[in-house]
Amino acid sequence: MLLLDYQNVLIESLLTERFSGYASATPVSIDQVVSDFDGVTFHLSTPESKSKILISINVKCFKELVQYGAQEVLEREYGPYIVSPEPGYDFSVQIDLENLPAEEEARNDLIMKLALLKRNAMAAPFERAFDEFNKLAEEASQYTSESAPQGIKEGGEVMAIHYREEEAIYIKANWDRVTVIFSTVFREETDRIFGKVFLQEFVDARRRVLTLQNAPQVLFRNDPPLELAGVPGLSTKEGEVSYVTFGMARNISTSISVLTRAVLFPRHLTAQRRYENISHIQTFRDYFHYHIKASKAYIHTRMRKRTADFLQVLNRARPENEERERKTASGRTFRVQG
Amino acid sequence: MANQTPAVVMDNGTGYSKLGFAGNDSPSFVFPTAIATKAAGSAGSSAGRPPVANKPSFLGGGGGASSNLSAKRGTEDLDFFIGDEALAAGQGPGYGVNYPIRHGQIENWDHMERFWSNSIFKYLRVEPEDHYFLLTEPPLNPPENRENTAEIMFESFNCAGLYIAVQAVLALAASWTSSKVTDRSLTGTVIDSGDGVTHVIPVAEGYVIGSSIKSIPIAGRDITYFVQNLLRDRAEPDSSLKTAEKVKEEYCYVSPDIVKEFARYDREPDRFLKHTVTAPNGRSINIDIGYERFLAPEIFFNPEIYSSDFLTPLPNVVDGVIQSSPIDVRRGLYKNIVLSGGSTLYKDFGRRLQRDIRHLVDDRIRASEARSGGARSGGLDVAVVTHKRQRHGPWFGGSLLGQTPEFRSYCHTKAEYDEIGPSIVRRFALLGGPGSS
Amino acid sequence: MFTRKEARGGKSWSFGGTPQMTSSLPNVNLSLRDLSACLSTTIEPIVVAFNMPAYHSIFLEDRDVPVIGNFPILPLRTRTRGPAYTLPPLPNTDDLDVSPESESYDCVDEILSLFRANVLFRNFEINGPADRMLIYGTLFISECLGKVKPTMNSRDAEKALTNAALDNFAIPGDVSFPLNQAFEAPRDRQDAETLRQFIAQVRQEIAIRLHGRLYPGGVGPSKFWLSFTKRKFMGKSL
Repeated sequence: MLLLDYQNVLIESLLTERFSGYASATPVSIDQVVSDFDGVTFHLSTPESKSKILISINVKCFKELVQYGAQEVLEREYGPYIVSPEPGYDFSVQIDLENLPAEEEARNDLIMKLALLKRNAMAAPFERAFDEFNKLAEEASQYTSESAPQGIKEGGEVMAIHYREEEAIYIKANWDRVTVIFSTVFREETDRIFGKVFLQEFVDARRRVLTLQNAPQVLFRNDPPLELAGVPGLSTKEGEVSYVTFGMARNISTSISVLTRAVLFPRHLTAQRRYENISHIQTFRDYFHYHIKASKAYIHTRMRKRTADFLQVLNRARPENEERERKTASGRTFRVQG
Repeated sequence: MANQTPAVVMDNGTGYSKLGFAGNDSPSFVFPTAIATKAAGSAGSSAGRPPVANKPSFLGGGGGASSNLSAKRGTEDLDFFIGDEALAAGQGPGYGVNYPIRHGQIENWDHMERFWSNSIFKYLRVEPEDHYFLLTEPPLNPPENRENTAEIMFESFNCAGLYIAVQAVLALAASWTSSKVTDRSLTGTVIDSGDGVTHVIPVAEGYVIGSSIKSIPIAGRDITYFVQNLLRDRAEPDSSLKTAEKVKEEYCYVSPDIVKEFARYDREPDRFLKHTVTAPNGRSINIDIGYERFLAPEIFFNPEIYSSDFLTPLPNVVDGVIQSSPIDVRRGLYKNIVLSGGSTLYKDFGRRLQRDIRHLVDDRIRASEARSGGARSGGLDVAVVTHKRQRHGPWFGGSLLGQTPEFRSYCHTKAEYDEIGPSIVRRFALLGGPGSS
Repeated sequence: MFTRKEARGGKSWSFGGTPQMTSSLPNVNLSLRDLSACLSTTIEPIVVAFNMPAYHSIFLEDRDVPVIGNFPILPLRTRTRGPAYTLPPLPNTDDLDVSPESESYDCVDEILSLFRANVLFRNFEINGPADRMLIYGTLFISECLGKVKPTMNSRDAEKALTNAALDNFAIPGDVSFPLNQAFEAPRDRQDAETLRQFIAQVRQEIAIRLHGRLYPGGVGPSKFWLSFTKRKFMGKSL
């Protein structure tokens, strides 16, 4: 597994099972609280009747997301299914098993859409940034870079999503690119080193590999980048926080693919591409941490192998003639028969 | 950090792994503890086979898989599947399926580490830094294995906190949901019957009485084989293992007495059932279901009808286990016999077991009364506890204990681990024991 | 553990209270095979093992049963002539489920009702002459099942079964009799002849009643009965 899935596997498998089995089996009640990355909590339950599944989501930074238009995005995606949020959660949808789309395909789409609840909730600021970018780019095309008015040159405001304690994503649209900045904290010394290597690799790979030239520009540094100048609440502690900046221009293919596949994306920004980019970039932090852990597991594997090899060597290193003649007190010896 | 996230409960068994979050009443994921890796195993090398016993496992160096791996520089180490996907991948070319856990204990740490990594990131989707983890271990697990587990959990995954509990103790805790259980004691006998083996484990005040544990080589898989035998004897049109398993799960029950049950089938022909199997090509095959309904689980009570080398009935084993335990806990062990695992789910299993054990106990009491010449015994209470969460008993027990407010104080945290080292996990305070709410 | 009395007469589930454990306490014996079977690397082996017996004959409790060698001459409910004491016929014609309390209950009823359970067992401890009857009958049913082919109709099967019953057969003491370790030879010629006649009576009665079970209502043969053909009680056959 190189890339993390965007959808929540539990919601996906649970709904698939319920949807397909509904005709034959009697529904069973559900009551599960499950987690997703970035401190997101889901609650799946059947509060009213066993055929009505309520899915609620709790996102740490929901307030910020709403500010950037999350409600609209969610309404667009889940329109008819939305119900008023369950207490303690930010957003709820309810599915009536007796009222499902008839076609298999539509059902599967619905399952996938629901499994992507977290992705869609987090997508709003990205979508807004892309829209803003389109607008700015259009405006900017009327000017040359020198004559552009100040507002266009500077681009839109910085949108901050504090999706974790101490960590945040900053998104900023400019006329020629969208910049996404991750601030990442490493509590572990080892992880920090791994992280640095990884991030440096992101930066270097783009330079080295020809096919990746179209990938977004990646910058990595330990002090807040220029774009964040003036954003309040940044950690000032040196060395603990790292900043990864993705500069995404027209020919976006996110850096996630840097290490993993070198697919040449078509050069224009289509709706599909934009959709995938948002999914990709959202899982960046988790992807990053997942790979740090996978690398450690890999190193452990090699360490175990090496230890086993050394042990083998030690075991072979026995004195050659271990058996000495033993004498009793009276000087007699035992001889092995035969 | 990690203030309100639910604890992750992982019960990795020989056959199946149960993963989920504390507080839920069932695991989020249940899939085979299997991992499919590239090439190793499929090439017929020893990596995919059970470890050969000719040398101690630590000399095996984790099998051939790792040696292949260390020669590679790419991302081959990420090319693997776990669970049902592993079994599916194992069908095709290029992948070999490995089972990192054997006889309840982790044998291949390389595979297990990757299995956990995928469990956490792909299925549970949590950042281990944010969650406390409750893992399970079999009874008599060597402390070295605990340390290895802690190393992986803390050093690879940086998980916030860790508690390792014995499966049998968790199974006892799971029985607290039964209405029969009035006092939440951690004393009792656990009968844990999974797919491969059945264990009878006496637990006193949360501690396993290791010297008295017995295992029985009859479990779910054997029942399936026995059903298959019976289907074949009757020349049913479909007697595949899969069908046998289906029959076992859907139709079997425990009878009070097989001779009477045979007579009952003669009198009531509607006890014979029909089962429809849908073949892969879409045709449906009808097979008859007969005596296997009650004969299959009978092999617990009369192993002789199935096995030629193991002949002791389960009730006698349970009785023997309790008799070999310290005398002051025996009463508690008889009073709280808890079932756990998929193979204890047959209807009336607990009832029959309770009756049979009670007979054994009463016989003994009567015999000793007779020997003592007139002394009367106050009798001994035998109770077998059946409850709704039996199937995933240990997991559910973990979920129950993992959601308690004091759970975190029982865990060892990452900071403590960094301070003291792996040996810290050799001891855990007893969760849910005396003194906790 | 079941005693025979509970198995037949008692309630289905007898709990607590005072179970009627009168005469037949369970047999306790040590089995070395159990020992080796449960040896495993991590778990202690079982040290003492009890053997669960197969079902024994209810007629063990009857006193003063005449024996030839150590084979019992038990009363039969039969119309075939022979040395057996004849029991009164059943009040109704249905012989599928005769109560052991009934005065007409005979050893053939018992053999047929215990067959499907006992044939599954490989070990059987002989507790008395009546158990030898049970063994012989069980083995004979196995032989009969072998004669009935799944394609036979009721009439053909009846013929095959009658032939099997009347065929030349060995009695205890004969060289070709397979169970001579457990069965004593009759004392003299005359006893041998009586024994042969008695066994013939039993065989015919079994054949007739077995046929009724294989072809309930004339339809059959019952595949549920035939599925026991391959099983060998105690690993032996006649």
